[in-house]
Amino acid sequence: MADKQVPKTQKCIAVLWPSFMVAVVATGLFFSAFDPDDLFPFGEQAEVSRLGVYSIGFLLFWLVSAISGIGTLYFAITNCMRQNPGSRG
Amino acid sequence: MTNPDTTGPGGASRSDEQVAASLYAKAEKIYPRQVHGLFARLRVLGVLGLLGIYYITPWLRWDGHQALLLDLPARKFHIFFVTLWPQDFFYLAVLLIIAGLVLFFVTALAGRVWCGYACPQTVWTEAFLWIERKVEGNRMQQQKLDALPMSARKFRIKGTKHFLWLAFSVWTGFTFVGYFSPIDELGRNLLVFNIGPWETFWILFYGFATYGNAGFMREQVCKYMCPYARFQSAMFDKDTLVVSYIPNRGEPRGSRKRSVDPVAAGMGDCIDCTLCVQVCPTGIDIRDGLQYECIACSACIDACDDVMDKMGYDKGLIKYTTEHAMQGGTTHILRPRIIIYAVILLAIFAAFGYSFSQRISLGLDVIRDRNTLYRETSDGLIENVYILKVLNMDNAEHQYELSVSGIPGLTLHKDMAVIRVESGGIMELPVRLRADEADLEARSNDVVFELVATDDDSLAVSEDARFLGPR
Repeated sequence: MADKQVPKTQKCIAVLWPSFMVAVVATGLFFSAFDPDDLFPFGEQAEVSRLGVYSIGFLLFWLVSAISGIGTLYFAITNCMRQNPGSRG
Repeated sequence: MTNPDTTGPGGASRSDEQVAASLYAKAEKIYPRQVHGLFARLRVLGVLGLLGIYYITPWLRWDGHQALLLDLPARKFHIFFVTLWPQDFFYLAVLLIIAGLVLFFVTALAGRVWCGYACPQTVWTEAFLWIERKVEGNRMQQQKLDALPMSARKFRIKGTKHFLWLAFSVWTGFTFVGYFSPIDELGRNLLVFNIGPWETFWILFYGFATYGNAGFMREQVCKYMCPYARFQSAMFDKDTLVVSYIPNRGEPRGSRKRSVDPVAAGMGDCIDCTLCVQVCPTGIDIRDGLQYECIACSACIDACDDVMDKMGYDKGLIKYTTEHAMQGGTTHILRPRIIIYAVILLAIFAAFGYSFSQRISLGLDVIRDRNTLYRETSDGLIENVYILKVLNMDNAEHQYELSVSGIPGLTLHKDMAVIRVESGGIMELPVRLRADEADLEARSNDVVFELVATDDDSLAVSEDARFLGPR
């Protein structure tokens, strides 16, 4: 299996690291446009501080872009295997 | 192995198996040997300066507030005498673009000086290496210790090192959060273990990242994770300053006694002592040519110059040079690439400076009352209700004069006699506009609110709104 040739740590970093950078940018853009206080006009976020909302927002952005990264990694490896049977990926 | 990213241009001497084994999942630990010399001193200077700036800056005060506080909870950035608001995000974005262009410009001119002297990865790795050397001893002592089976002594030494690393990392994380949340308050809360959950999370997150990156990942971050390392070659040309071994002078390499005349023996100046390899933080052999793993830290220059001195040869077998100079030509500093980068940089910088100097530290937002389109007053006038939000982004309190225009005979009514807003404050101001129906031209009419500070004419903004009527 070609995907066994790529170490697990490398795969993890390949997914987590670029998505981390994207999440930083996305969080900055999103929260400079929207104030958490305006996003929840009925006071649902009363228990969570602004810093908490930013942090949760960041973690969600990270999660979403990491999922996309997993997809990219999966297709890159499986397509590479299909096109070069016997290659070591 | 068909992954092109793992072999640099000069990595041809390594076999495929070696490359596969050195992938960052199971990379061999590199023990960079300590080096002394001009560039090592420069790097220590850079490291101390930058670490000093990082750890001291959040404690600086300016005009009664933290000098540099990117106050996320309050949604305003204090940068010395400037206060930036979410509306000013544009300026931060332009600043980042300028920083990127400066990096391009410097790279084209002087190669990877950023990597070797200023990159946080280098700076914190140097600090961690320093701690490691203080605790475990020099390169050979470290290698010997790692080869030993676990014992009480080894456990104590390793434990001390990791404790110091962790303490340093947590302090780094604490300082990082101190840029975003007032650090004196954070410090007081830390002393009584009463930090908010998210502050704690970020201190540990950043601390853990520091510990991992500077303690373990080190050069692998540069080799496998750094985007700049991948695209910096696009800024390189034959006149860019690079760290290079001079093969014409060094080859054929070989060990020899100090008394042997290399010319007579048919040898080059390289005595093959491999010190340049031992000091390399990324573990490459500079004699294999320019490699993308090289972070231009110039540790090999210092090491080699020292050896050349001892052998009585000229210094500079490994040196800062350019491809043109190595081919016997001259280096052109002023060349189209440099001029283009400089012109773009200056243009953006000038535009930024102008735009920033024209920035008005006053914001006005007009919100129409959503409940009623309009109503008729007892004396037969048409009335519209608005909520005005006045945002004073200046560093001083101001009083403002509000006026409105757009419809003949339009009158402004507000409950508050004076509009006074403290520095950084937001005032919500309900106002009513009244006009005679005969003066309205359509169902919807354009009106303009104008707000001017009474003590400073330059603090003026206007905001469009709609006045609705029956017509």
